[in-house]
Amino acid sequence: MSVQNTIPLVYDNILTSGPDFHLQGGYCPDCDRYYFPIKESCMECLGSVDKADLGKRGIVYSVTTIRTRPPLGLPQPYSVAYVDLENVPLRVFSLMDPSEAGQYCIGQTVELKVAPLGLNNNKQVCLRPYFRSISSPQETDRMS
Amino acid sequence: MVAIIGVGIIPFGQHLERSIVAMAMEATLAALKDANIPKGTIGACYFANAFGGMLFGDTTIGQNLTAAMGIRKIPVVNVENACTSGSSAYYLARHAILAGECEVALVVGSEKMCVPDFGLINSGATELDTLLGMVVPAGFALRAQRHMYEYGTTVEQMAAVTIKSRAHAALNPYAQFRKIETLEQVLNAPMIADPFTRSQCCPIADGAAALILASDNFAAKYNRAVTIKSSVLTSGFYDNQADITHWDTDYYTANLAYEKAGLGADDIDLVECHDAFTFSEILHYEALGLCPEGQGGQFVASGQASLGGKTPVNVSGGLLSRGHPIAATGIAQIVELVTQLRHEAGDRQVGNCRTALAQCMGGDKMGDAKSCTVTILSK
Ligand SMILES: [Zn+2]
Repeated sequence: MSVQNTIPLVYDNILTSGPDFHLQGGYCPDCDRYYFPIKESCMECLGSVDKADLGKRGIVYSVTTIRTRPPLGLPQPYSVAYVDLENVPLRVFSLMDPSEAGQYCIGQTVELKVAPLGLNNNKQVCLRPYFRSISSPQETDRMS
Repeated sequence: MVAIIGVGIIPFGQHLERSIVAMAMEATLAALKDANIPKGTIGACYFANAFGGMLFGDTTIGQNLTAAMGIRKIPVVNVENACTSGSSAYYLARHAILAGECEVALVVGSEKMCVPDFGLINSGATELDTLLGMVVPAGFALRAQRHMYEYGTTVEQMAAVTIKSRAHAALNPYAQFRKIETLEQVLNAPMIADPFTRSQCCPIADGAAALILASDNFAAKYNRAVTIKSSVLTSGFYDNQADITHWDTDYYTANLAYEKAGLGADDIDLVECHDAFTFSEILHYEALGLCPEGQGGQFVASGQASLGGKTPVNVSGGLLSRGHPIAATGIAQIVELVTQLRHEAGDRQVGNCRTALAQCMGGDKMGDAKSCTVTILSK
């Protein structure tokens, strides 16, 4: 039995089925526009939106670390980022691997992981998607 | 055109024993006294409050205020628009007068936030971003980090916003934080969200502020009246992959307000802007055209945003030092502009202040603001 069958996911319809999780979002073929999370209708044409596999890799566009008392049972500290996805023109807000909190840089390539992390609004442990590093930053020189 | 003929404000901070209505009434009485009109003159009331429903289960509080003051029968509109709740109420009141629905309108914002476990504000408990750990400081910290990366903006430049804010607030008896802070103190305060220390995040507060707006006709007999040159309210662009160092919503709203007023950034003698975090103020300098894009850090570090500088910004202390009782903030900004334009600001008076601008932003949706207001006033 997979872990996803016993622990609720933090938000419905944001992942393709495992075990190799990808982000799942929406795509409007008429407007050639992607959404994450999927929407009931396209915000441009108001037509229906298809499910779309958004892949699992991206590049950090910006990142910060929250060091104050965290919400939702998240670890202290925890990092969050905007990640530009590799396969589709979409920037997503994302949690980062707590074991690497504070170590991320703009330009770094990251990959999706899914694991129990923090609590949901019912105060239950839940699965959250987060990104973790798979390479050193591409442009660390610009950060110094 | 529409004019402001009365302003009222109470000191921002903790008012643990006072209700939303009690604070609103004190600010309203001060504004009525300032305008020298009886309560019966008020033809409409626009009341702003953002958190009363969530924290206390109180809604339609505007009528609780007017009923308590024996102000009867008039239209009362309750406004919630995040941090622009107060400035949106003002926007609507001006329209009521422009439409000829009333001669005099009361605008009042009152907020009580100092309750146990208030925590960090988020953008809605069931939104995916919130569930993935988005809190308000994080949204601005992400913008700051990208700005540092693209333009070389430094933590010292951001700290300069707090240092300036405290120095200004020391001159404002209505501000919450009135002690001078040094660079070391700002940078060594506990880290909230990189690169913001606690000193770089605005405090929550209780407080209230009020305005009396009147038609040109009614205001003609007031030599302390201040004219509203323009007042705009917009909502977000909600673009994905937008450049977060160039906030389109902010630029668009500022330009619209300049266009409607027939004025430009060079005409502005004083700005009150939405400095919820140090870096937000830096972004607003750029969007308001006070300095070239990317140079907001240098603008503040070189003293150009200080009292006596090129364009003094947040001489009241702003959100960072005056405090940020959400729905009172947008109105408090206008109270400051009116006080300055009347040359009644005492120690913090901006010399030769003739035209002034207030900018406010609220909410978070898809990485964008949900609302933005800019108003330009002149004497
Ligand atoms: Zn579409």
